Amino acid sequence: MALSKEVYKEFEDVVGEENICDDPVIMPAYFSAEFAAVMLPANTAEVQAVVKLCNKHKVQFRPICTGWSGAFPKDIILLDLRRMNRIIEINEKNMYAVVEPYVISAQLQAELFKRGLNFCIKGAGTNCSAMLRGHGHMDQTTGGDDRNHLAIEWVTPAGDIVRSGSLGSSDEWFCGDGPGPSLRSILTSAVPPGVTPGVFTKAAVKLYHWPGPAVYPVEGVSPNYRLGEIPPNMMARYYSFPSVEKMWQAELKIGENEIAYELMGFNISMVAANITTSNEEEEETFNRLNKEVQGPGFFIIIAGNTPEDFEYKKKVLDTIISEAEGKSLKAVEDPRIEGILMCQCTRVSASIRETFRNGGAFNSIPIMGQRDLTIRWAIGAGKAKGPLIEKGLIVDDGGAFFGWGVEQGHLGKTEIFCKYDPLNPEAKAAVETWQKEQNARAFKERYFASTMGPQDEIGPALSNYHLWWKKIVKAIDPNGVSPEGGALV
Amino acid sequence: MGLEQYQGDMEMCCRCSTCKFIPMQMIKGEQYANACPSIARYNYHAYSAGGRLNIAVSMLKNGFNYTDRLLDIVYNCQMCGACGVSCNYAMDMEVLEPISEFRIKCVEDGQTNPALEKVIAGLRKQGTMVSGAKGKRGDWAAGLDVKDATKEKVDVLYHVGCLTSFDKNMQKLAKSTVKILQKAGVNFGIAGNAEMCCGGRAYQMGYREDFLNQAKKNMDMIKKAGIKTVVTGCADGYQAFKVLYDKYNLKGDLEVLHISEYIDKLIKEGRLKPRRKVNLSVTYHDPCRLGRLGEPWVHWEGKKIPGDRFVFDPPKSYRRGTNGVYDPPRDVIRSIPGVKLAEMTRIKEYSWCCGAGGGVIESNPEFAKWTAQDRIDEAVSTGAEAIVTACPWCEKTFNVALKDNGSSLKVYDIVELVEKAI
Repeated sequence: MALSKEVYKEFEDVVGEENICDDPVIMPAYFSAEFAAVMLPANTAEVQAVVKLCNKHKVQFRPICTGWSGAFPKDIILLDLRRMNRIIEINEKNMYAVVEPYVISAQLQAELFKRGLNFCIKGAGTNCSAMLRGHGHMDQTTGGDDRNHLAIEWVTPAGDIVRSGSLGSSDEWFCGDGPGPSLRSILTSAVPPGVTPGVFTKAAVKLYHWPGPAVYPVEGVSPNYRLGEIPPNMMARYYSFPSVEKMWQAELKIGENEIAYELMGFNISMVAANITTSNEEEEETFNRLNKEVQGPGFFIIIAGNTPEDFEYKKKVLDTIISEAEGKSLKAVEDPRIEGILMCQCTRVSASIRETFRNGGAFNSIPIMGQRDLTIRWAIGAGKAKGPLIEKGLIVDDGGAFFGWGVEQGHLGKTEIFCKYDPLNPEAKAAVETWQKEQNARAFKERYFASTMGPQDEIGPALSNYHLWWKKIVKAIDPNGVSPEGGALV
Repeated sequence: MGLEQYQGDMEMCCRCSTCKFIPMQMIKGEQYANACPSIARYNYHAYSAGGRLNIAVSMLKNGFNYTDRLLDIVYNCQMCGACGVSCNYAMDMEVLEPISEFRIKCVEDGQTNPALEKVIAGLRKQGTMVSGAKGKRGDWAAGLDVKDATKEKVDVLYHVGCLTSFDKNMQKLAKSTVKILQKAGVNFGIAGNAEMCCGGRAYQMGYREDFLNQAKKNMDMIKKAGIKTVVTGCADGYQAFKVLYDKYNLKGDLEVLHISEYIDKLIKEGRLKPRRKVNLSVTYHDPCRLGRLGEPWVHWEGKKIPGDRFVFDPPKSYRRGTNGVYDPPRDVIRSIPGVKLAEMTRIKEYSWCCGAGGGVIESNPEFAKWTAQDRIDEAVSTGAEAIVTACPWCEKTFNVALKDNGSSLKVYDIVELVEKAI
């Protein structure tokens, strides 16, 4: 439904002629949906004015940043936040950075590295918004999820500006919970819908110490990048184990001893994806490495603050690996591969190789909770992939899952996905069935997957949170202009 | 060939936005992270490579709906290929090829840009891409004692190019080149008034038939004159002769070198010695069509293997910008005594475009200048006194941007720098 000329003009007066477009030709660039218009607000004031107009005219809107695929309702106004792309502040003393939504993680991280700092980049990749909530490769160091969001500036669906945490009582961004209103459970909800109605226009993210180089010495020409040298006091390895139990024990001890800068439970298929430059090379490498590993494993980066610290961490690691009968993957000991994996995994710059390159799509189930339990669930989900692999409907990754412990490693994230060709209807249907069945199994066995939904089904098992959520949404979005769903990546 | 053959590639786009930025490992801060001038300037996702691919695939399915906005999207792109380099770090799919085919389809369907139509009309009438060109193509060589390669036997044909031949401000580059080649004792010649436009820029604008016309004429002349080696003074010419002629099976075994490659060879063989000290700090701008798009064409024909992966029989090698010309110009610069080379953030395969490509300098000069301005700022940020390039189109665009900028940055073509040193 097109906006009337008069309504269009009202929006145009806010964002300017150049920053509103309702020509249907641009819509497929975004998603397969007919939007009423796409707008490019430049700042919080413009976002607020647009949202107020949406309320006035009862038009729904949805914001988007760099944006992967997603399901978007027809006739909404799409707020492309691309022009809101400034790093507002990097506060070294109080260890936070304030960003607008279209600052990508790679930009913020590069600025932070120069200052000996880092932040939690989400597994979706460094090409996504630095504001995105979630988990990532460096969770052992940075923790994960909503605890990395500090104060947030939020334009509510009704068009009010809410400043959460310390920002609500001062101009400081250092805390998401106070002094001032803590809206953490509303703003960074982990349960479905997982996305807050309205628009985040600025957010502070927590910063952490970075012991690595100010700039990685990347050499070579794409896609054959390598590090000129392994940075001092840093090391990357991949270890495989004779059993899941042994792997989990090692992972837990590493967490408890706080020696890993990064611990990423890649399966060997993901290692192969990371270190290769084409689908053919990846398949060959996976088949080769798969024969070399003795079972499940993880990728680890050790980073010392001093040579002594580095030596200590390596020694502890050696002991843990030895006790768990771990075996180092020789390919990763090659400095060429070690270096590029180290860089890619701390810069989280090859997620697309792991997910989209093979067939163009992947469907995933991420499970949060106690690592050893979620791993048990994932083994079952992996076995259920077997028939799909045999039929050639999904990429053969050995039925593997992946995941990692957060902080000290007891809690963590375990994830499993199927990579496939979305243009093959049989494959698509099979993967969707697999996902539905495994989500249902997770729910039945009392695991928590953010993909489980819908709320009416899972809500009763979660203190009827969905009923409360609906009331909250009604209060903050009286005109129903901010539809649920989607992801702000 | 046609847009249809790339449907599978276009459908691989996962809308991840990496095409908007330089390869992620190479991002060194908030600034200079952009790779694509079009999305950087116009912001709607439709102006990114991913956006263009998604629009094209939608139109293949639902029919082509040409609107002013669509043509604005199609023609406000320098076809610089930076999108493909960033995407192809991770993905196996063609990016620039379908964008190019989309533009060709627009032209074939009569959906053209008036400014580009004018340029092409000039090409058809006067044989040059320089609108309003006066005089003859070889006039600049008067009195320089240069052989006519169509009449005399030479080892090397120096293909000067339209802009250098006809633009009085650029003819200095041809003169510098002649001086360098003469100094090195190269048996070379030019085609003079018989030289023809390479057609490369026509191709970038979407005029494939005009390009093929020029390519055939050039190769006929080259074969008739028995020329084995062509040295081009311009990056567009280099890409046309080396890559595009090969793509359309017209190149044969002709050796094609850019002047920066040839000078590098002469220096390394000891035939040319830059002895004179040039006290200058410079930064080097990689022209798109010498760098990432100068990568040799890879002939391939095959079919997708049915199944879970986007793989082919026989396996397909993607042109990811890996084998462009990056080191020879840098080696030449480093060989000049006194010259200090400082690199910009965006270099080699992920270099930022000067703004002139794809006909943008003709169709939207303001956008070309905006793009050049960003490069000038980046060059200035290195502390260099001069930006050195290897293409007259880059030099021209940078100079236009500098007029409004107030910066004291100087612009040189690599041949001008070498001339100072010999």
